[in-house]
Amino acid sequence: MPAVPTSWSGSDLTSPVRRFAGSLICLERIDELKSIHEADGQIFIGSCVSHTKLMENLLIQKNFPLLIQAVKVLGSPPIRNMGTIGGNICTASPAGDTLPPLHTLGAIVEIRSIDSNRLVPLKGFIKGPGKTALQKSEIVYGVWINTNQDYNVCHYEKVGQRKALAIAIASFAALLKLSESGIIEKALFAWGSVAPVIVTSQEAEKMLIGKPLTAESLKSVVPLVEKAVSPIDDVRASAEYRRMVAGNLLFRLLQYGNHGST
Amino acid sequence: MSSLTKVGQRIPKKDAPLKVTGAAIYIQDMKVPGMLYGKILYSKYAHAKILKIDTGKAEKLAGVRAVLTGADVPNNFKFGFLKDNPPLKTGKVLSARDEIAAVAAISAEIAEEALDLIEVEYEELPGIFDPLDAMKEGAPLIHEEFKSNVLKLPWKLVAGDVEEAKKASAYIAEDSFSTQWVTHCCLGTSGCIAAFDMNNNLTMYSNTQIPSLAQNDYLEALKTFGLKNKRVRIIQCVIGGGFGSKLDTYAYEYIAILLALKTRKPVKIVFSREEEFFATSPRQCTITKISQGCDKDGRLTFREMEMVLDNGAYVSWGATTPSVMMVPISSLYKVQNIKYVAKCVYTNNTYSQAMRGYGNPQATFAIESCLDQLAEKAGIDPLEIRRINANEPGEITPQNFRITSCGMKECIDEVANRLDWKGKRGKHNNRGVGMASLIHVGGAARVYKSDGCGTIIKMDDNGKVDVITGSSEIGQGSETIISQIVAEVLGINIDDINVINNDTDVCPWDVGAHASRTTFVAGNSALGAARKIKAQILEVAAKNLGEDPQSLDIKDGVVFSTKDKEKNIPLSKVLRKVHYSLGGRMLVAENFYDPPNENFDQNFRGNLSVSYAYGAHGVEVEVDKDTGQVKILNYIAAHDVGKAINPMLLEGQIYGGGLQGIGYALGERMIFEKGVLKNGNFLDYKMPTAKDVPPVQAVIVETDEQAGPFGAKGIGEPGLVPTAPAIANAIYDAVGVRIKDLPITPEKVLRALQEKGKIA
Repeated sequence: MPAVPTSWSGSDLTSPVRRFAGSLICLERIDELKSIHEADGQIFIGSCVSHTKLMENLLIQKNFPLLIQAVKVLGSPPIRNMGTIGGNICTASPAGDTLPPLHTLGAIVEIRSIDSNRLVPLKGFIKGPGKTALQKSEIVYGVWINTNQDYNVCHYEKVGQRKALAIAIASFAALLKLSESGIIEKALFAWGSVAPVIVTSQEAEKMLIGKPLTAESLKSVVPLVEKAVSPIDDVRASAEYRRMVAGNLLFRLLQYGNHGST
Repeated sequence: MSSLTKVGQRIPKKDAPLKVTGAAIYIQDMKVPGMLYGKILYSKYAHAKILKIDTGKAEKLAGVRAVLTGADVPNNFKFGFLKDNPPLKTGKVLSARDEIAAVAAISAEIAEEALDLIEVEYEELPGIFDPLDAMKEGAPLIHEEFKSNVLKLPWKLVAGDVEEAKKASAYIAEDSFSTQWVTHCCLGTSGCIAAFDMNNNLTMYSNTQIPSLAQNDYLEALKTFGLKNKRVRIIQCVIGGGFGSKLDTYAYEYIAILLALKTRKPVKIVFSREEEFFATSPRQCTITKISQGCDKDGRLTFREMEMVLDNGAYVSWGATTPSVMMVPISSLYKVQNIKYVAKCVYTNNTYSQAMRGYGNPQATFAIESCLDQLAEKAGIDPLEIRRINANEPGEITPQNFRITSCGMKECIDEVANRLDWKGKRGKHNNRGVGMASLIHVGGAARVYKSDGCGTIIKMDDNGKVDVITGSSEIGQGSETIISQIVAEVLGINIDDINVINNDTDVCPWDVGAHASRTTFVAGNSALGAARKIKAQILEVAAKNLGEDPQSLDIKDGVVFSTKDKEKNIPLSKVLRKVHYSLGGRMLVAENFYDPPNENFDQNFRGNLSVSYAYGAHGVEVEVDKDTGQVKILNYIAAHDVGKAINPMLLEGQIYGGGLQGIGYALGERMIFEKGVLKNGNFLDYKMPTAKDVPPVQAVIVETDEQAGPFGAKGIGEPGLVPTAPAIANAIYDAVGVRIKDLPITPEKVLRALQEKGKIA
C-alpha cells in the first residue's frame, strides 16, 4: 500500500491541494465505511459517515443526542454534507466539533489495515494537533460507542466567533446523571479548543458527585477546570479568554435545573 | 405625482436573474484573444531594503512572456492621491503588500510558478505599526522625502468658541474611542485586463467604480511612460461589489498596463481571495478623543474631537476621510461650538482607502457613544437628549450645511416606538436597548470641482429606449432605479428600457459611484434627459394628432390627448414617423446634471451636499455573562430617504448596511502582526453569515426632498453609520459596561464584566 495521504471526504483539502501534487486515496465510496449499525449493545459509526447522515440517523438521534447537538453547529450545510466523522477524528484538531462528545461518550476507534485490526480509545488515539495513533497503511474504520450510557442530561456548546462557519474558541460537552432531587450522581465533561488535545477533568467530575446541581457546586470545580486547560493565544481569541470561558461554560448546566431531563 | 406607477414600486433588480443564474460576466469570466495572465510578487516584510532581485530563472520558465521589476517602471512613475506609490517598488519596501515583481505568462499557473522562481534578498528593517509611535519625536521616517510621518493635510475645523462653551456647560462627558481596520469583502475580487491596439491606445476591462477618473489616472500613467496623446477606453464588466474599494486605481492595474506594453498582448490580472484581503485598501483604524457638553436642559453646547488615523504606507483616499468625518462632527444634532483636528499618519501597515461611510462610522461611534455618557451625567434619557438636539429643516449648521428635508426626529421616534424603548430601557437584566443617529450626505457631495453626471437617451423605431448613463452599476441597483425614473417620465415599461453604463467610449462623464450620490445625481440627470426627450416626442405627436403638445401625455407606450383620450397614437408610431419622413430626425436627448452644492472653502465651510440623509438605529441586545457574547434580539433601522424610488432595493441597502455595520461592531477586524495580515481569509475574518442575521426592521421615512429625483435622497452608505454605537449603547444598558474599542468582541465584554466584578 503506498504511503500517501488518506482522505475521508476531502472537505478540508481545498487549500492545501492548490499546491499539492501527490496522490490521494479517497475512501468515501466504500459502503461499509458509511454504515451505522447496532451490535452487542454498541453502535458502530463508519468513518465515512457524513455529518449530515449522522444528524439524520434515528439510532444516533435516540442514543446520542449529545453528538447531534455538536454536529448541528459544525461548519455549514455544505461542509456537513461533505465532512465525515472519520475526517473530524483524524484531523485531530482540538477544535473538532465531534471530539468532546465522543470523548464523554467513551468512543472506541477501530483501526484497520490489510493485515491487522485494532481498537483504541479515542482519548489515546489523538496524540496532539494533527497527530494520531494511525500507523502507515492504516485507516480508521469507524468508531464504537456503548449504548448503555447512564445519564439524563446532555449538553454541548461551542463558543465561536459567529453562528456558522466558525472554528470553536472553546467548546464544552457534558453528560450528567441527576437524581430526582437534583443531586449529581454521575458527571462526564470534555472541553475542546482549550489545549492541544481535548481536555477532560476527572477531578472536577468526581468532586461534583453527590452534590446538588447549583451554581455553588459548579463554582467549586472551576479552579480545577482552569488548571486542566492549557490554551493558546491565536487570531480567534486569547488564552486568557479561553480559560475563563472553559470554566464559565459549566454554568450552562444550571438550565437543566433539578428536573433531570434533557 | 400622486399617480406614480413606476417610481415607488417594489421592482426586483434588473440584473438579478443574471446574477442568480451565474450568467453575469465578471472580470473573472472575461477572456480576450491572445490574452496573457499576470501575477504579482509581494514583499515578505513590512519594512525592508531590497538588496537584490534575480528574475533569471523565472524568465527562462517555458510559457513566461515577461518579468518586470521596479527597474522597468519608466520615469519613476508613482500614483495615488499624493503620488507616493510606485507600482513596483525599488530600493525599499514600506508595507507587506508592496509589489516587488510581476510576471506575464500563457497561463495563470505558469505565472504563479514563475513567481516562486524570482529570488529576492531583503534586509529587514524595524517597522512602525502604531500611528502613535510614528508620531513620536525621532521616529524613523516612512517616506524620508516628506520629513514627517504626519501627512501634510489641513484637517482642522473650528466653529464658535469651544473653550467658552465648556465654561458655560452644565455637564461635560469626555472619553477616548478607537476603531479597527476592516475591509470591504466584495464577493467579486479585483481585476482588470489591459490591452493596447496598434497605436498604443489602451482598452482596460475593469471593475472600477470611477470609470471617468480611472481613465484620467491611466492617461497620466501612459504619458509618464512616454505615450502621449493616447486614448483610454474603460469597459466595465459586471461588478461584484464596490463599497469604496474600487474608488481608486491600484498598483495591479498599472502592472497590467506595463506587462501589456512589454508583451504587446492583453494581460489579465485578477486577485485571489487572499490578495483581495491583503492587497486592496481597507477602512483605517482610528483613535479618537472626544468631549461634548450640554446645558442643564440637555441642549448640546460644544463638541471637541481629536483624531489620529493610521494612513498606512502610501496615500489613497483614506487620507481624505476626515472631510466626511466633519459631517457628523459639525452637524449631527444642533451644536454650535465645534473643534476638530485630525492627523493622518504614515505607518508600515497596509494603506487605507474609501469604504462605505467614508470615515463617518468611526466619527459617529465616538460621538454617539459619548452622547449616551453625557445623557447619563445629565440624568436625561438618551432618547430624550437625541430628541432635544435633533436636526430640523431650515437649519444652517456650523459648516454652513443648509438642511432642507430632515426626518431625524421621525426616525428617532420610529426606533423608540418599535423597540418599546420606555418598556425595555434601564432594566439591567442582561438585556438592554440602545440607539444612535446619523447624518450623511444625501444629495451628492462636491469633493471634486464637478459633482456631475451625464445621460443620453435615444429611442428606436419600436419605442424602446436606450439610457446611456455615466453612472456605474456596482450592485447597488442604479440600473433599476434609472429605469424606473425614465419609465415613469416616458409612460413606458421598465423592460422597454436598456441601460448602458459600462463603456467610456459610449457613456457620458460621471465622477463615480461614491458618496451615496448615484440615485440623486444620475437619477436627476436621467430625469432631465427623459423630460427633454418626452418634450420632443410630444412635439412630434402633437403635429400628428393636431393637438397642442401641452395637452398630450404618454401612458403604457401610447401618446394621448388629456382632453380627449380617443385622440392617441402609439409611441412606436411616433418614432417611425420621425425616422421615416422627409427631413426626418433622430430622437435623442442629453442632459448633464451637476448639483448646486459647494466645495468646502479653506475653513471647511460650504454646503457640501444639496440635501442630507438622516437616520436612527435602535437595537435590543442580550449579553451572555458567561461568555461575553452579545446577541441582537431586535434591530430597527429607520432612514429618512426623501422618497423610496424602489422600497425593495432601498430595504436591501438598509439590511446590507446594517449587517455590514453589525460585522464592524461585533466581530470584523483585520489582524496585523508586524504589518502582515494574519486573518486574510473568510475563515478567520469574521463577516456575519446568514445565520448571524438578527431580526431587522427597515423603516422608511419619507420627507420628499425637493431637489431629489421624485423627492429621493441617497441611501448607499447610511445603513452602517450608527450601528456600532447603537450596539455599544445597548450593551451598556444591559450590563453596565461600555466598550470603547471596536470590535466589541466577547472577550472585551467578558473582561470588562470581570473588571466590574459583575460575574455571578
